[in-house]
Amino acid sequence: MPPNELMTTTIPTSRRTPPEESNMNMHSMTVRGKDRYKSGVLEYKKMGYWEPDYQPKDTDIIALFRVTPQDGVDPVEASAAVAGESSTATWTVVWTDRLTAAEKYRAKCFRVDPVPNSPGQYFAYIAYDLDLFEPGSIANLSASIIGNVFGFKPLKALRLEDMRLPVAYVKTFQGPATGIVVERERMDKFGRPLLGATVKPKLGLSGRNYGRVVYEALKGGLDFTKDDENINSQPFMHWRERFLYCMEAVNKAQAASGEIKGTYLNVTAGTMEDMYERAEFAKELGSVIIMIDLVIGYTAIQSMAKWARRNDMILHLHRAGHSTYTRQRSHGVSFRVIAKWMRLAGVDHIHAGTVVGKLEGDPATTRGYYDICREDYNPARLEHGVFFDQHWASLNKLMPVASGGIHAGQMHQLLDHLGEDVILQFGGGTIGHPMGIQAGATANRVALEAMILARNEGRDYLHEGPEILAKAAETCTPLKSALEVWKDVTFNYESTDMPDYVPTPSVAM
Amino acid sequence: MDLDTTPMTDAVNLRDELEAVGIEEILSQLDRELIGLKPVKTRIREIASLLLIERIRKRMGLTSDAPTLHMSFTGNPGTGKTTVALRIASILHRLGFVRRGQVVSVTRDELVGQYIGHTAPKTKEILKKAMGGVLFIDEAYYLHRPDNERDYGQEAIEILLQVMETQREDMVVILAGYGDRMDKFFASNPGFRSRIAHHIDFPDYSDDELLDIAELMLRDMNYGFTPDARAEFVRYIALRKKQPLFSNARSIRNALDRLRLRQANRLVADLDHVLTVDDIRSIEASDVLASRVFRKAGKSAEAS
Amino acid sequence: MRITQGCFSFLPDLTDEQISRQVQYCLEQGWAVNIEFTDDPHPRNNFWEMWGLPMFDLRDAAGVMMELNECRKVYGDRYIRLSAFDSSHGWESVRLSFIVNRPKDEPGFRLERHEMAGRNIRYTTSSYAADRPEGRRYD
Repeated sequence: MPPNELMTTTIPTSRRTPPEESNMNMHSMTVRGKDRYKSGVLEYKKMGYWEPDYQPKDTDIIALFRVTPQDGVDPVEASAAVAGESSTATWTVVWTDRLTAAEKYRAKCFRVDPVPNSPGQYFAYIAYDLDLFEPGSIANLSASIIGNVFGFKPLKALRLEDMRLPVAYVKTFQGPATGIVVERERMDKFGRPLLGATVKPKLGLSGRNYGRVVYEALKGGLDFTKDDENINSQPFMHWRERFLYCMEAVNKAQAASGEIKGTYLNVTAGTMEDMYERAEFAKELGSVIIMIDLVIGYTAIQSMAKWARRNDMILHLHRAGHSTYTRQRSHGVSFRVIAKWMRLAGVDHIHAGTVVGKLEGDPATTRGYYDICREDYNPARLEHGVFFDQHWASLNKLMPVASGGIHAGQMHQLLDHLGEDVILQFGGGTIGHPMGIQAGATANRVALEAMILARNEGRDYLHEGPEILAKAAETCTPLKSALEVWKDVTFNYESTDMPDYVPTPSVAM
Repeated sequence: MDLDTTPMTDAVNLRDELEAVGIEEILSQLDRELIGLKPVKTRIREIASLLLIERIRKRMGLTSDAPTLHMSFTGNPGTGKTTVALRIASILHRLGFVRRGQVVSVTRDELVGQYIGHTAPKTKEILKKAMGGVLFIDEAYYLHRPDNERDYGQEAIEILLQVMETQREDMVVILAGYGDRMDKFFASNPGFRSRIAHHIDFPDYSDDELLDIAELMLRDMNYGFTPDARAEFVRYIALRKKQPLFSNARSIRNALDRLRLRQANRLVADLDHVLTVDDIRSIEASDVLASRVFRKAGKSAEAS
Repeated sequence: MRITQGCFSFLPDLTDEQISRQVQYCLEQGWAVNIEFTDDPHPRNNFWEMWGLPMFDLRDAAGVMMELNECRKVYGDRYIRLSAFDSSHGWESVRLSFIVNRPKDEPGFRLERHEMAGRNIRYTTSSYAADRPEGRRYD
């Protein structure tokens, strides 16, 4: 549906105020002059953290919070407090403010809207001056925006929903080390999603057994295999064993197929020194890709992104642990913010949901994440949970990865939801195939190629999907058997994180 | 092409069929927008009917070959050949005889190279762009230079002939130019003659038609003759036709461009005058009379 | 063996009609289609020989098919692929690539292992076909 048919609130920089909010977005209450710095306690909204007339500058960073104040707390005061606590304020007036250009450094809440259909919750729009942040540092950005406020007592809950990152700030980051275009060129794979699989079982395989799974899956037709997030260096398989056997598998599969193959060697370790050592060894062995976990922290991620850029390595990020703070709708940080930070930080792959698989993700929200990863410009799309226009200033594109509970029988839905620039990871859907791992891989590859062929021919592949797959299975026994085994597998559960705005027909006359 | 996928049928409602393809719309547009050209319009209606029946025959399984649709348009410059080619292309497209309906318009220079080995790639480049549509070759006789045996034009002709024969379903070729020269061209290149299914001759416009064309063009640009100016323009047409290099509607268009120039000059000359919409729209007799055509018929080429 | 580079190598070889539909898709996206051929299909051989220039401004697949048939007449014993280029900002690269012609017999690749210090092994992939002189590799 085109955006002009949506009856939703406009982008936040607009001054338009819907009628039901007119009482809330009233004029500034800021105390000015001598009274402002009298010792004692002053309400945040009177300290200059609530400026409803403020027009955000093009260079401001804007954050959108979902604020749930404690009972009886004024939502404007709560929002101003969030602005204050995420910038210059402390609980009382300090005279040392007067030694600074305090008005510039104060974050300014400029708009508070009630969240549709969610009594007691408010969207607070807060603008931050660019000078509040160190260039090129996610650690500094996140320490400022989420460092201090999430445990603030007057709030029941707080969630960072979205951020507008100005071009001036975006340009201080490296961005994805490789990017979608160069990854495709290096891998010599164009026009279709890439295929991967996570080696299973997650734990316990020896290096030799592990390499066997990699070889079978790659030879069968996958482009990538993947270490799981907690495959690091354990008693059953030390990391060098894994790397050596995996690279033998990769090279053998390349020679057997004539295609470039890769396996995400997880270099996550206890210290940066260990990670660099593992990454160097992966490079020495000729791997095209390494992998890290989100839990290593933003600084470590940025370090590895710089290393990857210097060493022509694709950098895969597993979003291990994100659900602890992204999943609940009222508290934490939305994954769309994490995706934005990771595009700045410079990883090349990020797990961003499957819609149809076993892990959280409603279609509209997931679409928003994918757009953030792949587009050079994201227009605000409230129905996808994207609140701001975001220019990426030619920062490389980040390849989203769909992983968890997906199989060949869903190929048409996956292509429809996720598009072409994505890595589809069929772990169980490859390794659990009744005819073996190679057959599982082949089934996925044939299903994918048949679907792309049909799409390009202009067929209604979403509706004809099962037919297209059945037809392809006539000349591919592995696909036939995959369709049979997993025909009824779906994961239909209510999503916990969905957009707050739904498209409705415009009533404008 | 939808001809291939339409199921076999044994009865067809002609009215429904006509409406479905929407060529009536194109034909009446042709009637409305093109002044005169009676015989051309009649020929095009005939061709459209033939193709409509051909399409039905195909659906009934009475024919299977792709028909030869290549055409020649003969006539003097400015008689509407290019415009008609565009309409023919939409008719062919609507009826499913070409897949895309674009018109690629070229002359010898775009087909023939100047060095050995240049011609085949150049010709093929154009052919590839024209596939799915219509290739319109203006002044086609220049492809053939009887005085020069080693002219590269011959190479282009051979490639063209081959594609016109073997890829009839991929492209329609229209050869255009002066009638007498086209006759000579066909006489010395019988291969072309045999591959052309429809010859259409474009007559010169009458004086009245040229006036209508002028008024239509002016209306499109939000201008108009005053009654005096119109009378003078009638005289202008008669005089201009007698001068060299007259090219029908094209000469009219050029004359109008110069009229607008003179009108603007006249308006700007009087800075104290408050202009009305009428002033701005009107071409006056003096604008017409300033033309050199009214002076003693000069030796000049394209007269001003 | 069967080399599985390109977008549709796991499907039965495409018919000319199927190829033509893929080409039409590319043209409708505004991409320029290029024909390339090689007798050395090493996975890291990026630069196959070009059969003419990428074809810009085409409306219909028939033009590409005409060239493909010409190319097959000359190099029908080798690999031929079609690649579609997207010139739009942010891409400026290949958007679709697939093999449309293969030698009758595909000998595949040799994997050489070169033992290094520790347990490290250097692997080198080379086409068996490239053991023979250029032009006679698929005789």
